[in-house]
Amino acid sequence: MRDRKPFAPLLPFKSIQSSISFAFSCLILVTITVTSLASYQLAVYSVERNSEGYIEEIMKQVNTNIQSYVDNMENISLLAMTNKDVNYYISSNNFIGNEDRRVYEKRISDLFQAILYTRKDIASLMVFGYNGRVVSDRRITSINPYAVLTDQAWYRNAKAAGGKSVLSAPHVQNIIQNEYRWVVSLSRELKNSDGVTGEGVFLVDLNLSVITDLCSQINLGKKGYMFIVDNDGNIVYHPKQQLIYSNLRTEQIERVKEAPSGTVFTVDDQEGKRSYTVQDTNFGWKIVGVAYANDLISNKDDIRQTFLLYASAGLIVSLLLSIAISHRLSRPIRNLQRDMKAVERGNFDTQTVIREPNEIGQLGHTFNIMVGQIKRLMQEIIHTQENKRKSELQLLQSQINPHFLYNTLDSIVWMAEQQQHEQVVLMTSALAKLFRASIAKDTELVSIRVDAEHITNYLLIQKMRYESQLEYIVDFDRGIMPYKTLKILLQPFVENAIYHGLRNKPDKGTVTVRGYESNGLIVFEVEDDGLGMTAEQLERIWKPAPVPADEVLTISPKGIGIHNVDERIKLYFGPEYGVRIHSELDVGTCVTITIPKVK
Amino acid sequence: MRLHRMTFILVPLLIGLIVFGVLNYKLGEVSPPKARSIAFVLKTSNARSDFWQAVSAGAQAAAKEAEAGLTVEGPLQDMDADTQIRMIQEAADRGPDALVVAPVHDPRMGDILRDIRERGIKVVVVDTPLQLDSPPYYVANNHKEAGRQAGRTAVEATSGKLNAAIISDFPNSGVQSDRETGVKEALDAHADEYDETFYAENSEEKAYDYTKSLLQDKPALNTIIALSEPAVLGAAKALKERGQAGNVKLIGFDSSVYEIKLLEEGVLHATIVQKPFNMGYLSVKTALGLVAGRRTDQTTYIDSVVVTKSNMYTTENQKLLFPFIQK
Repeated sequence: MRDRKPFAPLLPFKSIQSSISFAFSCLILVTITVTSLASYQLAVYSVERNSEGYIEEIMKQVNTNIQSYVDNMENISLLAMTNKDVNYYISSNNFIGNEDRRVYEKRISDLFQAILYTRKDIASLMVFGYNGRVVSDRRITSINPYAVLTDQAWYRNAKAAGGKSVLSAPHVQNIIQNEYRWVVSLSRELKNSDGVTGEGVFLVDLNLSVITDLCSQINLGKKGYMFIVDNDGNIVYHPKQQLIYSNLRTEQIERVKEAPSGTVFTVDDQEGKRSYTVQDTNFGWKIVGVAYANDLISNKDDIRQTFLLYASAGLIVSLLLSIAISHRLSRPIRNLQRDMKAVERGNFDTQTVIREPNEIGQLGHTFNIMVGQIKRLMQEIIHTQENKRKSELQLLQSQINPHFLYNTLDSIVWMAEQQQHEQVVLMTSALAKLFRASIAKDTELVSIRVDAEHITNYLLIQKMRYESQLEYIVDFDRGIMPYKTLKILLQPFVENAIYHGLRNKPDKGTVTVRGYESNGLIVFEVEDDGLGMTAEQLERIWKPAPVPADEVLTISPKGIGIHNVDERIKLYFGPEYGVRIHSELDVGTCVTITIPKVK
Repeated sequence: MRLHRMTFILVPLLIGLIVFGVLNYKLGEVSPPKARSIAFVLKTSNARSDFWQAVSAGAQAAAKEAEAGLTVEGPLQDMDADTQIRMIQEAADRGPDALVVAPVHDPRMGDILRDIRERGIKVVVVDTPLQLDSPPYYVANNHKEAGRQAGRTAVEATSGKLNAAIISDFPNSGVQSDRETGVKEALDAHADEYDETFYAENSEEKAYDYTKSLLQDKPALNTIIALSEPAVLGAAKALKERGQAGNVKLIGFDSSVYEIKLLEEGVLHATIVQKPFNMGYLSVKTALGLVAGRRTDQTTYIDSVVVTKSNMYTTENQKLLFPFIQK
């Protein structure tokens, strides 16, 4: 497993199913991962977007709330500005006595008290006339003797603004004795009836707690907070104001100052990634919401877990599916493989069942054809072997043909009675050689020399039997002697020539046996000048001997059929070789046997 | 076959695991760090004590920032050692990660805190120095430096021709001893004259009497440095009565409405104001640092601010003098 060859397949699996399901799994895994990641990012992005929108909405809400307080102060200041009593009281060109002044003071104070009664957010209302008169919502106004009016920013700014209302930064209002309240002051210079000359400053103090409560209640996640800065970047409200003053904390005030209303910018430093949502107000403050990124999506974990859950569920389902699909896909192949295994074990009756007409179906079809052909070929081989055995058996019979043996022995006996000792010796020795040649080896192929010797001995015996009636010529080229031929190939033809061609011929007949090489082949000829055959006779001897299967061993008196010899040659050497017979009635018969040159 | 079956189940699983890891890594620290819990025991939780309320506010700001759990408590009475010890023990029994204590001066305190520390709870001591076998983590105002600031202010106010008196409460009070040392250091640097420190024992009356006699006996006196609020008030009363307000520079510590009024009136020349919000904030920060195992300074000093009449209404100082917004 470890020492893989360089040409190992891409997927190291033995079965197609494994490869397919592995490939599927990888594909599915990648797809699910990518889609999950993408949708997770999208979800997170949209949640972030939503939160940004939500924060902006909150900032707008805070803005509206603060705006309403400021508007209210503005309205109160307009009320005071247009109030005749106030105007009269502080006008420099009026000389009213102390008694009258009390009346005015009471009336103005009552008015202020009435306003204050309805507005809990207002800390105090005061008018400071340039003529030194001061009236407030309190019945008795004791001004802090150490608080210098001209030192107060709201006073100076109101004078400088010339009739427009001025909103101060939060500060401790120390103008009333024994009172130190955090307020936001709206001040406005009150004008003479001519509308040009200033006659005093009107002050509305808004409890800062109204704003700080509002701001501190805003919840922007666990760590998120909001703060307010004024035009100059002074902090109006910040939950960590003191830390910023002590440089223990820094705040992005410069960036906030530059940021236009409605924008969001992100800061990522050691304090964590957070976004600043900046909202401008009409009165010059900037309301900033700070939200921490990992706070914003408080359920980021949940989202991710949900995604992971769904992704893994989908993964498991699709993995199982992929296994199932690959199983389904590879089933025909496995069936085919199983059937092939069966064939491998030797069952050639196997036919694979073709369920689908696809490539695998075609493969199965081809397989079936192939198995069929193999089966047919096998049967053919079995049949051929059988024939071979049969012809060998017949050959064996021909070798020990009892008639021939009997006749020969009879001739020997007869010659012995005639005292022809030499003849007896010759014939007996020829018979012995004949048998030795035919049983010499157990092999099918023998050298031509052996067969030539055999046929010579055979003819010698026949010649001695038939004396004057038979003449024979055996003529083999010396060159072909070492080549192989089938054992006892020529004897049946010589036998036929003698028994059918010459025996019934009244005069002397000659058998010529030739062996030579022609066109790279070895050609044997057995020629007689006997009776010859008609075309019908010739046709008949080509027919195979009708031997019933169970009587293979019965001896045919006709000897070996020409057909069997021809078949034997073709079986051994191929279909292009074999026996040809040329015969003419009353002229003779010539049998030509062609075999290849085999060493 | 078995092996291959295992392989093609295991390989996707492995890939899945890797993907999960990447997901976790890429999407950042999603799970917040384990929530820390800090118990803070103040010297007093009295709502009228601006100082301790500001400490508490600072502590809460730090806790919110770190998303840590914080409990703040303290006895209603300033010097109630028994109650505070009970509270400390109860707080420790709740098993917080760290305990921040502003201990009341009491001999039992050292043993108690050592026991708590041995239970594995990190201990941070705030405001009042405490003698332990191994020094505790300590967050406090730099009282010595505050004393030096007072001394330097006195030197500047009198243009170097200084003839000072020092009024403290108790000779062995930790905070005031430090302040006294600081004041003396600053004065010694200019080789200025000053009287033996008078101990008014936390009594406005005694400080008043002492100042009165001082004004009578020592016409050359041009500076009084009062190390505590009662001392300031007593001395101021005497100065006002004698018409010496402004002539004799009174330099005090801490801030209260009375002191602020004295500042406005010009009776009190300057007061050295602490930053209690910062103290609360930094003490919780220190505690969180200890819990997280970060390198933390053994002692964190918080500086003080010299507030005079002229700078008392600057934005920064307003926030120190009036830390809370009354409704």
